[in-house]
Amino acid sequence: MTDEMKFELLAYADGELSASARRNVEARLATDVGARALLAELQMTRQTLGSNEPAQPLPESREFYWSKIEREINRLESAGERRAPSPILQWWRRLILPAAGLAVLALTLSVNVLPGVGRGGSGVEASFPGAEALTYRDQAQGVTLVWLSYPGEDEARDYEAAPPDGDWL
Amino acid sequence: MSANRDHSAAADEALVSWAKQGDMRAFEELVARHRDKIYARAFGMMRNEDEALDLSQEAWVKGWQRLKQFQGESSFSTWMTRIVINLCLDALRRRKRQHAESIELMAEESGGVERHMPIVTVNPTEGLERADLRQRIDQALAQVSEVHRTVLVLHEFEGLEYKEIAKAMKCSIGTVMSRLFYARRRMAVLMASWKREQES
Repeated sequence: MTDEMKFELLAYADGELSASARRNVEARLATDVGARALLAELQMTRQTLGSNEPAQPLPESREFYWSKIEREINRLESAGERRAPSPILQWWRRLILPAAGLAVLALTLSVNVLPGVGRGGSGVEASFPGAEALTYRDQAQGVTLVWLSYPGEDEARDYEAAPPDGDWL
Repeated sequence: MSANRDHSAAADEALVSWAKQGDMRAFEELVARHRDKIYARAFGMMRNEDEALDLSQEAWVKGWQRLKQFQGESSFSTWMTRIVINLCLDALRRRKRQHAESIELMAEESGGVERHMPIVTVNPTEGLERADLRQRIDQALAQVSEVHRTVLVLHEFEGLEYKEIAKAMKCSIGTVMSRLFYARRRMAVLMASWKREQES
């Protein structure tokens, strides 16, 4: 029996096969004693394990276990409050970024309009330090792109986001 | 507000709703109800008490932080289990990068020894009390490789489909099938050895 046949038997035992694949396996099982024996073993093992998951009681008291969780939650929330920028600073950042983007755009357009300036180039890239704005200009195609980005919140930067409702990231 | 609520009598849905509003006592009740399962899942994958405690507690902290993302499409217990499984898988990947596997385990994972395993026909549960059977299964799980144990936990105990396991373990469905096949066969052989011990 090939490995592929064995894995097909496993998938058959676990209900993971399509209808047509199931029919193929059943046709083989009708004549293959070895396949039937292997399938029976796979099914028996699955049933035994699924019905008898070992119990693992928590080796700590409820209060102690919870106290560590609560302490960590409080610590993280306090740290988050200390890191959060002041409302005034947040307002200023929201104002300066669009203004910086507009300034970059104005500069780019002025370079394009002025005759003899920067002609013939392609793929010019400039950055506006501190304002998180990037400009790309392709003179050959006459295309100018301005990219603006706001600084991400802590949550968005945290890659270990919990899968929403049981889904996997 | 929190003092007027009967947390111990409330359903999980109500506790989640209160916890989303910042009711820490509601979240504590959720922890009390589901901590054994979350810890058991962590221990089943890590086979180390300290690591399982740390990872299960980390899962609860993340659960609190991400509570607003929980919309109730699955049970709260399932949602928390997914969090702890993710953490355990990350921890196992870090562990694998740090430690080289033995040649025996590599051979086991590649299925090389499976070809020499006779097919088991005896029922390993006959004559065993349930508590004894569970203990023996636990001992057998400790003897298989991390990769095999992971796929067994995810499929046999957590009930995940192949494609879900593949996504969680960051591998192909074919790899999941291969691992699960060899893992289940290995467990069958280990469980069959109990019968021989009993009869001898």
